[in-house]
Amino acid sequence: MKKGYLSLILHAHLPYVRHPEFDAYLEEDWLFEAVTETYIPLINVFDNLINEHIDFRITMSLTPPLISMLTDGLLQQRCLRYIEKRLELAEKEIERTNNQSEFNQIAKMYYNHFHDARYVFAEKYQRNIITAFKKFQDAGKIEIITSCATHSILPLMNNNVNAMRAQIHVAVNHYEKHFGRKPRGIWLPECAYEPGIDQLLKEEGIRFFIAEAHGLLFASPRPKYGIYAPVVCPSGVAVFGRDLESSKQVWSSREGYPGDFYYREFYRDIGFDLDYEYVKPYLHGDGKRSNVGIKYYRITGKTNHKEPYSIEMARNKAAEHAGNFMFNREKQTEYLDSLMERTPIIIAPYDAELFGHWWFEGPLWIDFLFRKIAFDQQTISLITPLEYLDKYPENQCAVPSASSWGYKGYSEYWLNDKNDWIYRHLHIAADRMVALARTYPHTDKYSIQQRALNQAARELLLAQSSDWAFIMKAGTMVEYAVKRTKEHLFQFNKLYNDIRANTIDEKWLCEIEHKNNIFPDINYCIYQ
Amino acid sequence: MKEIFLLILEIFKALIEILWEKIKYVLKILWIRFFGYEEIPQEKKEAVVEWGVTGEDEWPGITETETKEPPEKERAVSPPSAIPDLPDSYGENQIVLMQRDPLCLFCYWEIQQAKIDNFLKNLSTLAYDASLVLRVYDVANILFDGNNANKYFDSVLVQGAKDWYIHLEEPNRSFCADIGFLTSDGTFHMLTRSNTITTPGMCPSDITEEQRVEIEALYEKVYASMDIDAASHVPVPESASAKWQRLFSHILSSSETC
Repeated sequence: MKKGYLSLILHAHLPYVRHPEFDAYLEEDWLFEAVTETYIPLINVFDNLINEHIDFRITMSLTPPLISMLTDGLLQQRCLRYIEKRLELAEKEIERTNNQSEFNQIAKMYYNHFHDARYVFAEKYQRNIITAFKKFQDAGKIEIITSCATHSILPLMNNNVNAMRAQIHVAVNHYEKHFGRKPRGIWLPECAYEPGIDQLLKEEGIRFFIAEAHGLLFASPRPKYGIYAPVVCPSGVAVFGRDLESSKQVWSSREGYPGDFYYREFYRDIGFDLDYEYVKPYLHGDGKRSNVGIKYYRITGKTNHKEPYSIEMARNKAAEHAGNFMFNREKQTEYLDSLMERTPIIIAPYDAELFGHWWFEGPLWIDFLFRKIAFDQQTISLITPLEYLDKYPENQCAVPSASSWGYKGYSEYWLNDKNDWIYRHLHIAADRMVALARTYPHTDKYSIQQRALNQAARELLLAQSSDWAFIMKAGTMVEYAVKRTKEHLFQFNKLYNDIRANTIDEKWLCEIEHKNNIFPDINYCIYQ
Repeated sequence: MKEIFLLILEIFKALIEILWEKIKYVLKILWIRFFGYEEIPQEKKEAVVEWGVTGEDEWPGITETETKEPPEKERAVSPPSAIPDLPDSYGENQIVLMQRDPLCLFCYWEIQQAKIDNFLKNLSTLAYDASLVLRVYDVANILFDGNNANKYFDSVLVQGAKDWYIHLEEPNRSFCADIGFLTSDGTFHMLTRSNTITTPGMCPSDITEEQRVEIEALYEKVYASMDIDAASHVPVPESASAKWQRLFSHILSSSETC
């Protein structure tokens, strides 16, 4: 008899970045890095477990922008080009480090890594790795949940219910198109929730979502089991709360695993370390040094002195940390089990890109964890939130508190002096979109008017992406985020004016349809 | 002869430069090999945190001294294109309240100059020393009619302000805001009123009674959506029954509670 359930949830998301107008675009590399460093390694972990008949369960949210990019022909082609360039670089690295055995074996590791990535991406899954995740879901091993259409923070658009509804509806339709059925759960962007959002989820048939711990702990009435069992909102949608104890062990660089001194150092990339002329063919067209994904050193300590990376030591550490994580969950659930009248569930969500990109050994850690859970203990087992609801359909009713898993637990990271200027424009645009949908309830199929209305909906959704506000606050690619926000709003407003004046510029419309082609099947009537 | 000599000298200098670059590269490799030490350039350390971070967590390799504002990052390949301007005004007269956290609201507004001018004209002599004010009302647990707020506070707005952060004393309340003129006789003249925001609590609820929704209450909601009176004994049409079964077949259990 298990004393506890562990639900690992990986949230995979990237902002929609696609620039067909250029041969290459710096920000598109975010996708290619994620594919080679996170998604393919995770796919390999899951494939190997299935092939070895080792049972496991994991929940993954794949957001609509991410799925759209992973299934886009142009980006697939560029991703393959990226992998092949890295493979070429890895080959050169093997030659360059021929007389340095310590570095040479690392170079060979990268060569194998990129060689395998090329095989998995191009041949095994025919450039569409979404089919891999669908395969895992159809096999009953992973539960794929959706997120909002463009990862917008719903509480920050709560003055327009139709706009909130559209974000969810478009996401549900998009999910159904790629996975053959409607989603059963949703990862609210940044876990940002406020009372009433669950009703919108219910309308789309969604059965559960995840909230930050205080969203559940401050719910009313007070949840009897804290965050170790779900509660049901008045709408009937269940909510699970994030476990802080298990989260900290992975997230925190001070206390968590990823900061271990034997793990790979992210900031010692050969794109910065090696001779400029040597790495230049693998940098972006502007020639500025950037990460190329090959790194030879381990964290070593809180110091600039870095020791060469040891594959074996890192692997041992990943195994040790997986065992430690499992041990802690066993102790945690044993304690909870003694207090609760039912088997507790521990919700452990993380950004998927932590595993493999930031924490190189992350996918290996997951692999070790799942194997150890399967073979080395009997206390806990892996589960998905939906399976837990099937086991425990009777749950306490409560209204969760408004909350998010972002900085300080609410909306501050997306609403501050760096980005608050966007909301007046976004809100007006949403109001205008609703007005357009109601003014033009029926349009001829494929008519220029219908195309313009659908494109207006796309531009609005893209402008509403929370990634832009996030980047503005983070202070990294601010110019790009501002540009994206302003461009989408400008294009939306031009469409709004042109539609009303019946002066739609078809040539310009074709250009932006081609460039901002997310959600090709969108129907603007969702805003009515 | 002299020209030939100068040419040979230039060639010799170029060869020396190439050789020196190679020697420097080899020395660098040897240095790294034997000492494993190289200063990490500052531009590398300051984060490539363009995605994947929720904002509250730190990542491997970042030390506390490195969390300052990062420099300009790599630029896109594309030539810089003009970023379009957004309108300064949309011709609206509105004020919108947003919640940042339980103790802070954000509001923005847009009031057309024509409306302000007309308003001030109607205030006549009182307009001369009228102050533009944001009045925030605590409207928790009441039906606000403009005069029955639990309490309110004013913030005098600086000229040209288009938005404001409102800091609150306690969470778990409801608020709405008016923007208007406060005249010297103490009268507040509203220009426009905002939406209402309810802030969350910041501690576990005092309500501990465990509540459950009976399945009949769920039935009532479903029937209401179909315009059917669940309390009546009218036979349920086949289509409604099928719809109900589809909706609930995946959550029904023998315990018959949610």
